[in-house]
Amino acid sequence: MKILIVDDDPINRTILQRLLGKEGHAVITADNGREGVDQFSKHQPDLVLMDIRMPKMNGYEAAQEIKRISSSRFTPIIFLTAVTDEEGLVQCIDAGGDDFLTKPFNRSILQAKISAMERIRQLHAKLRLQKEELERHQERVHQELEVGKHLFAHIVRAGNLLDAPCLNHWTAPMSLFNGDLLVASYNPAGGLHIMLGDFTGHGLSAAVGAMPVSDIFYDMTAQGFSIGDMAEAMNVKLLTVMPTRMFCAACLIEVDHRQKSLNIWNGGLPDILIADGSGRLVHRIPSNHMPLGVAPMTREDRKVEILEMRPEYRVFLHSDGVTEAINTDGVMFGSERMEAHFNGTHLPETLFTEILNDLEQFRGQAQQTDDVSLLEIVCAKAGEEPRGVDANRQRTAIAPTPWEASFLFSAQTLKSVDPLPTIINAVMNLQAPAGHRERLYTILAELFSNALDHGLLRLDTRTKKTPEGFIHYYTQREERLAALEKGMIRLTLIHTPLPPEQTGMESPGGEILIQMEDTGPGFDLTQIYSQLLGNTGHGGRGIALLRSLCQELEYQGSGNRARAVYRWTL
Amino acid sequence: MSGTIQVSRNDQEITISVKGRFNFEMHSQFRAAYQSDSGEDNQNKRFVIDLVGTEYIDSSALGMLLLLREEAGANESDIKIINTRPEIRKILETANFQRLFKIE
Repeated sequence: MKILIVDDDPINRTILQRLLGKEGHAVITADNGREGVDQFSKHQPDLVLMDIRMPKMNGYEAAQEIKRISSSRFTPIIFLTAVTDEEGLVQCIDAGGDDFLTKPFNRSILQAKISAMERIRQLHAKLRLQKEELERHQERVHQELEVGKHLFAHIVRAGNLLDAPCLNHWTAPMSLFNGDLLVASYNPAGGLHIMLGDFTGHGLSAAVGAMPVSDIFYDMTAQGFSIGDMAEAMNVKLLTVMPTRMFCAACLIEVDHRQKSLNIWNGGLPDILIADGSGRLVHRIPSNHMPLGVAPMTREDRKVEILEMRPEYRVFLHSDGVTEAINTDGVMFGSERMEAHFNGTHLPETLFTEILNDLEQFRGQAQQTDDVSLLEIVCAKAGEEPRGVDANRQRTAIAPTPWEASFLFSAQTLKSVDPLPTIINAVMNLQAPAGHRERLYTILAELFSNALDHGLLRLDTRTKKTPEGFIHYYTQREERLAALEKGMIRLTLIHTPLPPEQTGMESPGGEILIQMEDTGPGFDLTQIYSQLLGNTGHGGRGIALLRSLCQELEYQGSGNRARAVYRWTL
Repeated sequence: MSGTIQVSRNDQEITISVKGRFNFEMHSQFRAAYQSDSGEDNQNKRFVIDLVGTEYIDSSALGMLLLLREEAGANESDIKIINTRPEIRKILETANFQRLFKIE
């Protein structure tokens, strides 16, 4: 150990120097307080023995100065004193002294005090190291969390359309990261996909699962996949990446404004509640699937509830953080209190805020125990244009070239996959007519569903006119598709580039000839033409829409072959 | 705030009773309950989860049940959940756990 002796008495200095030298300590000396401080700065000793009454600067002042300049590390100071009165000793401690030694010096006591101080000094040094390490660690964690938070927000929010006019949402994470996932985006046909997911637990571990899920959500929605397809893909992903004890209770909804339908898949979330124009509960969609990431899905698990969407409907989704919120008495908010709002005495447009206000009032000062989310879909606004730009629409253009593609779908294929996303992606990759994706998708989707629903499955769109018929139509569609043994649909796409003088615009473009042929017995052509001429029933609007989008549209043969021409410019 | 767990076991059957709040704080207790000291295999064992004294069950607890199911041989497992109060039954059924466990 390196020890500094500060004493103006040369005899004392010599005695101490000898004593300590024999013990193997390195000794530095100073004969007054001022020099003591200088020697301290110069040699950085591990321990200081300090006399009190000295010229130039006394021991108290020197001790204070030494403590001040060495505040980051602990250097014990032992006062050498002849005083034994309490006041004098208190003054030693007040000045920053850690102990005192009374003269004349006793060798054993001196040794004992030095080793005691050494123990304390080592303890301090260790503590300081640990504290520094902890601070470094904390700083690192903090920075990582900041980066994580940024990435999380951007991945999960990319292209999010929660500001779609028909959506009201509220979410309160319990910590920095939200284990509740709320995402929304438009599919190429203009339908709105919405998802509320609630991962097991909360905080970072719960939020990590939200990244792959939101990726799949945006990607598959943009490609035109159905919510059933998405649920299956998310399930596969979560089974692969998440530990067994974690899963995601989720609800996926497609708001199809054109077909006037609500398609709902609920796996593990509390009942989806639908209020009518008087604010009364008219439909309840309970969870009829397991949450995502629990077990592999069967065909039955992809099944979606289809409901006729009425403009006055308001759809409410919530995570269990709402119903399981606890007040200061430990009582739960509960689904009864939640559903009491839907008794018809409240204005439907105030339901959303009323539920939130009630929840806040109920919880009072009680601590939040889970992530909380509430989402409302206002069906009357389902057709309104979204605010802001849809990120999915940004694509680069490829100069028009001639190409041809043809697909043949057998009954077996039609039963097992929806080929539309694949077709539209093929077209987009070959030609990428930026900004035309939605229209092309709509044309292909309409032609395809006419060929399948009416051509092969022989469904009558007129049944869709009543609410009962609406449900019946989809039940029948499902049954007939499952029973389909024969028949096929052939699709041919022929693209011809057009120079600017032919497009009528300044830029070049192209013309896509679409032929969709099915092997069904065909339509009554006169009926098709009457629909073409402006019938706008539930199913008939499809043809009217096609007509407005296409340059040419005609049904040939026995009505089983549709021929449409779509023109586009860059 | 969390609950307590009691275990009774014989050659074929392990009964785990959960009292109080069955939530994330019970994780290690619950794991210890089904992992026997002798390290013997939990497959081919019958499990009974008795929820008679359970006040509340959260999604982390559902996750623990899934872990047990995996430990007991997943699809070959034999796990019975008994004495579920209506509120708890509702939570189990919302997650459609009746497809994975026998709920009584």
